[in-house]
Amino acid sequence: MKKLAFVFVLFVAALSALSAQLPVNLYGRAASGPNGVVAAAKPEASQVGIDILKKGGNAVDAAVATGFALGVLEPNASGVGGGGFMIIKMKDMTEPVVIDFREMAPSKSTPTMYLGADGKVVPNSTIEGGLAVGVPGEVKGLLYALEHYGSGKLSRADIIQPAIQWALTGVPVTVNLASIIKDNYGKLVKYENGAQIYLKDGLPYEVGDVIYNPDLAKTLAKIVKEGADAVYKGEIAEAIVKEIQKRGGILTLEDLANYEVKIRKPVEGSYRGYKVYSVPPASSGGTHLIEILNILENFDVKKLGFQTAQSAHLWSEILKLTFADRSKYMADTEFVKVPLAGLTSKEYAKEQAARIDLNKPLAPVTAGDPWKYESGSTTHFSVMDKEGNMVAVTKTINYFFGSGVTIPGWGFIMNDEMDDFVATPGSVNSVEPGKRPLSSMSPTLVLDPQGRSFMTIGSPGATRIFPTVAQVISNVIDFGFPIQEAILAPRVWQGASGALNIEGRYPASALDGIKKLGHDVTIRGDWDAYFGGVHAVVYDYDKGVLYGGADPRRDGQAAAF
Amino acid sequence: MKRSRSVLLLVAAVIAVLAPLSLAAYNLKAPFASQPALLTSIGQSADVEMAKAIINRLKISFTMDSLVKAQGLASSNAKTLIIVIGGSSKGLGAAGISADAELERTKALLAEAKKRGMKIIGLHIGGEARRGELSDRFINAAVPSCDYFIVVEDGNNDGLFTKLCGTKIPLDVVQKISQVGEPLAAAFLK
Repeated sequence: MKKLAFVFVLFVAALSALSAQLPVNLYGRAASGPNGVVAAAKPEASQVGIDILKKGGNAVDAAVATGFALGVLEPNASGVGGGGFMIIKMKDMTEPVVIDFREMAPSKSTPTMYLGADGKVVPNSTIEGGLAVGVPGEVKGLLYALEHYGSGKLSRADIIQPAIQWALTGVPVTVNLASIIKDNYGKLVKYENGAQIYLKDGLPYEVGDVIYNPDLAKTLAKIVKEGADAVYKGEIAEAIVKEIQKRGGILTLEDLANYEVKIRKPVEGSYRGYKVYSVPPASSGGTHLIEILNILENFDVKKLGFQTAQSAHLWSEILKLTFADRSKYMADTEFVKVPLAGLTSKEYAKEQAARIDLNKPLAPVTAGDPWKYESGSTTHFSVMDKEGNMVAVTKTINYFFGSGVTIPGWGFIMNDEMDDFVATPGSVNSVEPGKRPLSSMSPTLVLDPQGRSFMTIGSPGATRIFPTVAQVISNVIDFGFPIQEAILAPRVWQGASGALNIEGRYPASALDGIKKLGHDVTIRGDWDAYFGGVHAVVYDYDKGVLYGGADPRRDGQAAAF
Repeated sequence: MKRSRSVLLLVAAVIAVLAPLSLAAYNLKAPFASQPALLTSIGQSADVEMAKAIINRLKISFTMDSLVKAQGLASSNAKTLIIVIGGSSKGLGAAGISADAELERTKALLAEAKKRGMKIIGLHIGGEARRGELSDRFINAAVPSCDYFIVVEDGNNDGLFTKLCGTKIPLDVVQKISQVGEPLAAAFLK
């Protein structure tokens, strides 16, 4: 009887534990192995990439498979209706290549398309509905990478089949996904095609539920068979145009047929002997990441200490200066001249560093930041294999669940990337036909001082992206943190003006000092997705081991073998 | 024999533990609210849309006005006010109303509803994610005026609703949003 009573007590205890609110799970996020690592925002997607590597695929094969899988497993953040940036450096390449598959403004776009009769921007018109949708680039971008940089050993079917499988067997609803669905309920419920997939009988899915999407499986199967044309021409293209125009949009069949990925030269810089490559405009992220690291290099970061008042102050000042430059200069370089060489030069960084007083904050550097409302709802993943082949991909449908417009019968959500333009005329980032809206996405590759592949890294998080990536790089290079510790560490963010945003776990001992230095401080959540979700891989050559780090601020988990 | 009795005892104990999880054991003992109802938001979160979906299913006669003001009650023939509490900066922004103004609207609306003899049912269905400084301002202001309250469990992890309802306001706690419908329907007179 005593034994039975003990079992009963255990049972009650287990039940209580199950019903209790789970804290953020910090365990099991990292992974390491000698052959290859994939770090993505969903454990299932990381595993898809690893399975491809095990089948003899290279890092690009794994990245493309992971990318398609994420479109199914994290449909709120990216997918067939979206776009992004990929940076690749294969071992035999002297310099990385950037594949820009960012969305493009439709040909009928105008700088005044979002203005109402009163001359003001119509509320929500850039965020929801057909007019918010840019020409998507994801499928063309991922397949371009596969065709030009894949191993050629695996077929398109091999690469996309795992994503099809997940669409059919269902996406597990995690705490994170359940919360995102609830947060976006107002949008989801307005669009019946999306509501049928992402709501359960009209209400949000709960943790533990499974979301099936056979229509998306059908779309992916068609991509396997026909390649990118499956989406950009024919019946899916017609369905896209019909649905977007029904929802007030202007996208045409010609816009889809004419969409092209852009192959770009990366922006490059260095940080304390490490070479840094990232993406050029239409993303501002890579350029400003290098600008930040260049300014940071002028200071003895280690001496200032890890997460002290002084180090928070330094980050705040560097970010103020950087965001002031971003507001003034950054846009699509095919439409606007951007001083890229200047922004990434060491000399300019030295001048900027000289403006920083370590004892008092700069006054607001500009009156405002027109891009402060950019969405943080994106995804990033990183792949590296034992040869040192590296891929970093950041992709998005912009706001979670994009424009809300879901293509009936085909199961994917269209982006609302037009919101990344300035919705009024007169800005370098105003809408123009064929223009790509300014982004902050910063998939980044780092070589060690010996010129070997060292780190692949990136993050979602809108304007927090490149400051977050810079902080994690500094945590690794300046403080010698293992990549997972570098990712877990609390972060800060500061715009050109406004309060210094500090993650809740920032050492309490530093907060008084930060305030005494004159900063207005906003303390955010302890594990706040506001600061992004970094997924990175670092190669330790001494041990011959690749280390993957993933972010508990999202559903990140790395996989390795 | 002794062993089988022990097993029976264990089974009975397990059932006793599981019973509250699966059976409707509500604190509201009798229906009290009349139709039609008026559904509104307190804090302008999208949770009011979820409540709308639930009430639609229950076939309760109601109208919805997320921004109804105290003066608006006169032209409404509603006998019950259903308030869905949850602060959203995005929702307040989209509605063009500040948190302070929303709080003023809330206080005036609830006072007027009481004056008119309307019953007030409060819902908090957004869980823990719909708590925090902004939401708690609305919760503290609105809950004491309710005649009945339903909360989704993880929104009450800290016991705030239990404390605010005290012994005077019947409070029912459900585990999931999809379980809100049953006690809500039970609150309405046939």
